[in-house]
Amino acid sequence: MSSSPRTRPTPGTVVTVSAVLLLIALAAAAVALGFDPLGGAQGFVTGLYPPVAVTEQGARIRDLYTIVFLVAAAIFLLVEGLIIWSVIRYRRKPGDDTLPAQTHGNNLAELVWTIVPSLIVVGLFVVSWQTLNAVDTAAADPETRIRAVAGQFQWQFDYLSDDGQTVLYTQSQAAGEGGGMAVPAGRTVQLTLTSQDVIHAFYVPQFLFKRDVVPGRVNQFDFKVNASDAGQTFRGQCAELCGTGHRIMLFEVHALSPADFDAWLDAKIAEANPTPPPPPSGEAGVTLEVSALNVAFEQASLTAPAGAPFQIVFDNQDSGVPHNVAIHKDLPTGEEVFKGEIFSGPDKRTYDVAPLEAGAYAFVCTVHPTMTGTLTVE
Amino acid sequence: MATTTLTPAASAYRSGLYAWLTTTDHKKIGIMYLINSFVFFFIAGLMVLVVRAELAQPGLQFVTDATYNELFSMHATVMIFVFIIPILAGFANYVVPLQIGAPDMAFPRINAMSFWMLPLGGTLLLLGFVTGGAAAAGWTSYPPLSEDRPLAAIGSGQDLWIVGLVLIGTSSILGAINFLVTIFKMRAPGMTLFRMPILVWTVLVTSVLVLMATPVITSALIMLFIDRNYGGSFFDPRVGGDPILYQNVFWFYSHPAVYVMVLPAMGMISEILPVFSRKPLFGYKAFVFATAGIGALGFSVWAHHMFTTGAVYLPFFSLMTFLIAVPTGVKMFNWIFTLWRGKLTLATPLLFALGFLSMFLIGGIDGAFSAAVPVDFALHDTYWVVSHLHYVLFGGSVFGVMAGFYFYFPKMTGRMLNETVGKLQFVLMCSGFNLTFFPMHELGLAGMPRRIADYSSAAGWNDLNMLATIGGFTIAASMIPFLWNVFVSLRSGKPAGDDPWEANTLEWATSSPPPPYNFDHLPEIRSERPLFDLRHGRTAGH
Repeated sequence: MSSSPRTRPTPGTVVTVSAVLLLIALAAAAVALGFDPLGGAQGFVTGLYPPVAVTEQGARIRDLYTIVFLVAAAIFLLVEGLIIWSVIRYRRKPGDDTLPAQTHGNNLAELVWTIVPSLIVVGLFVVSWQTLNAVDTAAADPETRIRAVAGQFQWQFDYLSDDGQTVLYTQSQAAGEGGGMAVPAGRTVQLTLTSQDVIHAFYVPQFLFKRDVVPGRVNQFDFKVNASDAGQTFRGQCAELCGTGHRIMLFEVHALSPADFDAWLDAKIAEANPTPPPPPSGEAGVTLEVSALNVAFEQASLTAPAGAPFQIVFDNQDSGVPHNVAIHKDLPTGEEVFKGEIFSGPDKRTYDVAPLEAGAYAFVCTVHPTMTGTLTVE
Repeated sequence: MATTTLTPAASAYRSGLYAWLTTTDHKKIGIMYLINSFVFFFIAGLMVLVVRAELAQPGLQFVTDATYNELFSMHATVMIFVFIIPILAGFANYVVPLQIGAPDMAFPRINAMSFWMLPLGGTLLLLGFVTGGAAAAGWTSYPPLSEDRPLAAIGSGQDLWIVGLVLIGTSSILGAINFLVTIFKMRAPGMTLFRMPILVWTVLVTSVLVLMATPVITSALIMLFIDRNYGGSFFDPRVGGDPILYQNVFWFYSHPAVYVMVLPAMGMISEILPVFSRKPLFGYKAFVFATAGIGALGFSVWAHHMFTTGAVYLPFFSLMTFLIAVPTGVKMFNWIFTLWRGKLTLATPLLFALGFLSMFLIGGIDGAFSAAVPVDFALHDTYWVVSHLHYVLFGGSVFGVMAGFYFYFPKMTGRMLNETVGKLQFVLMCSGFNLTFFPMHELGLAGMPRRIADYSSAAGWNDLNMLATIGGFTIAASMIPFLWNVFVSLRSGKPAGDDPWEANTLEWATSSPPPPYNFDHLPEIRSERPLFDLRHGRTAGH
């Protein structure tokens, strides 16, 4: 490479040259892999490129990736090239004790390599901001509303009514035969994310998208699976460490044609509600009223019949605070025999409680163990 | 007759191990920092070898899920807080007083206390392993998971983790104050701010970052402790707390901490490149301003770790993250044009410095992908990020540490390390490093999340994981020539003399190792390269 007189290579030279060659090979691999998919039949390993996106939003993110990748590759080749060139060209010859020119700097050069990178990064910022505005949206009237509920260590998908207020059907099996989240390909789906316990993240690699599922916070985003991808299944997985079962929080997304999706959802709704729901207070049933305010139950004691089902109408009046009613044997710390759904107030739920044996019980709020009362079953 | 000679009994008492344990000499303390840090480096390295062995193939072969979570959590915690940050503080401890012509640090006893908190804090972190489980919620320890609610999966190790880190943080704060006072008040006559070696500048900026950021993470840790043990409700949403608050406070420290982990390494690189190129650092002042710029901008980018939370004003943090590439780029060009038209001697310190430039370049460019928020939606919390952070903290900081170690070992011990063995270590480490972490870019793009103990063989991640595991064990193998080199060179290495590298700065003007008081006399300081001026005459450099 060098035009200077050749000298016999020392062992150090050989080692150095092999290190330099390694770097060149790396640079070449980086570029080559980016354009040469080596993915297996089932995997999505596509070198330095993300998998092909299956949503409209994911495709835009992939386009942005292409821009960033090209700029990054150009900068890498330029800078790494300069480093390698300097190492090869400016070696000190054995016995050369003279000093090179003592250059302390160059204002023009320093100005250039401050301003040009500034322009490049601001340009990248503008492009990525535009993409962000296109992909991170929540439409006022999406065509389908689904709520993903994450908990250690499973996913549940609630299909919501058009106004988002009622759960039409709950898919509690996240993957496998008969499970998974079915979505209509070609329609905008608004996904709402809620967590029952710790932070999780909803991540589908082929969406090129993830969003955290944060307890106490409702996150949402829109996606539209390409109509042409109907019939496909995409793998999804929790992406935020959530405990020892983090790796098993898998789910599947099934893209169905809109007609198939509608038929599927109607069938599931019919299947889940074989008969009309029983009347709120049946012939022999007893209904107990419980309300919570200021992180305390308003009732100190309740009485219920032994050996018969009864209902608890729970009125959580604490705005934004989650409560529930759970029944424990003997003491608030005793064995749990019933646990009602936890929900934030102000809201009401009716719990159906299975028959209990006669005896002393305590009712508590699972979230706030200090909220207790006594329940006598006789 | 008046005499200052100690009685024989007293001098014997003050020799050997006792002298080391009670020393307030910044050089001995600096060496103890290095030894302590390397011990924890090997411990955390062994932990991650188990992690890589587990990931080599699908299926759980070696550890349970719970142990796996403890291992990667403690690997990162120990590497960051008891290896990288302290070892750089150790180099700074040894070199900064020498470089500014001072006899010691400003507060020698506080300096000793800062050091002794580290083995204690590190041991507390590790104690979890024998008290029913170490911290297992990741080194980030996000609540509610780290608060042990609602699933009792995280044991008392998490409390030991908190206490250990508060101790180590206090050590950092005391060290930062000590460095700032030393640098501002104890410079030799003639050593103006703009004649300070670049390493001193980077330690100055690092100390400001530590001083401003560490109290913030300490507050987060104490809130976490109160939540866990006294029923506090800072971060538990069911009782009105906010888990996102923790993330904001945590990253307000932990992003600047990245610069704490890399600026002093950059400082050492900036000492090494001029020496082995026989040229001054190109653009000294630009480099100083870029360092200060990184420090300032470093406080405005923390939420780029939180882009997917849905709780961040995305455009602001995206723009600031892109902008921080500019001062970093300025440094990269300064380094390259220091090499440019120089006369390069490819000794081991320079090889590791060149490794730093190349690997840190990749790590830095990776950062631009994450700064583009929508791309980060795809990459966040995948192996891509694992790759990025190791290119910065291993390819950057650890290569910088190795460069500094080969560079300063002769000064610290009076003996040279073996060059051939050093080059063997470099080749093993550089190839092992790239074999481990380059495939992780692809794993992340292919959708492999971080922090999973196992994966389906249908996911297509098998080959790349096997490559990464082979690379990881290659890095481990590179430690064999390293340790061999240190042990053999300590006994029979070539004597170094005062200035084996023909270096520029004051630490090379005294003997190797220097006397307890550092200097018999100081050369005149008329530029940032007093020794160069002494060797070649003041006019040669201009």
